Amino acid sequence: MSELESRLTELGRELELPPAPDVAPAVLAGLERAPRRPSPWRLAVVAVAIVAIAIGAAFAVPQARSTILRWFHLRGVTVERVQTLPRAVERSSAAGLGRPLSRKDAERVVGFRLALPPLPRGESQVVYVLDDALATVLVKSEGRPAMLSEFRAPGFDVFKKSAAGKTVIESVQVNGREGLWLEGGPHTLTYIDRSGRFRERTVLIHGNVLFWERDGLTLRLEGHLTKREALEIARNTR
Amino acid sequence: MDRPLDDAELVERAKRGDLRAWETVVREYQGIAFRTAYLLSGSAADAEEAAQDGFVKAYRALGRFRRGAPLRPWLLRIVANEARNSRRSAGRREQLALRAAAADRPGDAVPSPEAALLAGESKTRLLEAVNRLSEEHRLAIACRYFLELSEDETAAALGVRRGTVKSRLARALARLREELGEEEP
Repeated sequence: MSELESRLTELGRELELPPAPDVAPAVLAGLERAPRRPSPWRLAVVAVAIVAIAIGAAFAVPQARSTILRWFHLRGVTVERVQTLPRAVERSSAAGLGRPLSRKDAERVVGFRLALPPLPRGESQVVYVLDDALATVLVKSEGRPAMLSEFRAPGFDVFKKSAAGKTVIESVQVNGREGLWLEGGPHTLTYIDRSGRFRERTVLIHGNVLFWERDGLTLRLEGHLTKREALEIARNTR
Repeated sequence: MDRPLDDAELVERAKRGDLRAWETVVREYQGIAFRTAYLLSGSAADAEEAAQDGFVKAYRALGRFRRGAPLRPWLLRIVANEARNSRRSAGRREQLALRAAAADRPGDAVPSPEAALLAGESKTRLLEAVNRLSEEHRLAIACRYFLELSEDETAAALGVRRGTVKSRLARALARLREELGEEEP
């Protein structure tokens, strides 16, 4: 530290600052009046947690309690790298995606405008809505089906970490915004529903997944797509 | 005797709904949170509200707190954000002028009158020079040296990257040396 920096530090200790009040009683009173869940902003939140894993470790110690090894965050999304996957059911095609609605009805239910890739001329869009919060559409790339899901995410900071392992977790950019690409191993999906309760609806996913943000929404594309194909769909989703 | 719980343990307990654990966190960090908010908002009342609201919001956001991450910069970021918002919504533009306390601190050695006069003049000049800095430079200096925040904490409080903090500090220090007629170290 230079002499000037030392003098500044010394000066800081002599500054006239108002005494810090004790805010603990008011904080606790506020929290007791309005418990952590649900709270006003959480009511509109659906957060998705993806648990990614290396296949070998998953089946080597199936009964072991999952140890969280790494975390990845995107707006409204937590990606954890764990030793063992939570119990999950296999999912097929559109099962468990919610009730099928028209685009207009789906937007009214979830309360936001859906961002969708362009539809082939003459086709109408079916939107599956789960818990009035998670909207999913089926899209096709090179003839292969994929699922695009979206939800309104809370406005929190983005945290990222790199990780090694059979499931690649990679930061990507989609239209200038942060995204995450997950490729390789199986992972499970759980989510928090509209009332803020954590739902243990855990499904096993074998495809690759791209997460990205757009206009306060978090979007999730899942399927047997290459990264290039996924990014192309994401860029055309408006 | 029970050992005090560390931040990670307190956070884990608070995540499970233990408000007493969160109270311990609030009492540990409310001082630095309030002082940071005061520098940013320029008002003791706003700083108190920012600290209070910040700790409430932080508790509710614990689900997104990264396990193993340092707690203090995360809390400072949330409280500082509240303080900036309150300043913005109040439409205040004037800078907070920092003043040195008049009284000596208890326990200070009693200097000779000449030494006290010289030291006092030097500090007054330094403080006046800090107060003349641009707001972003003044806040960087205030967070880093007056509040003795780390570079990461300063970045969190100011809502900028660590590299931005480094460059602002370098420019602010150079400006202060220029104002005080001092040589680069």
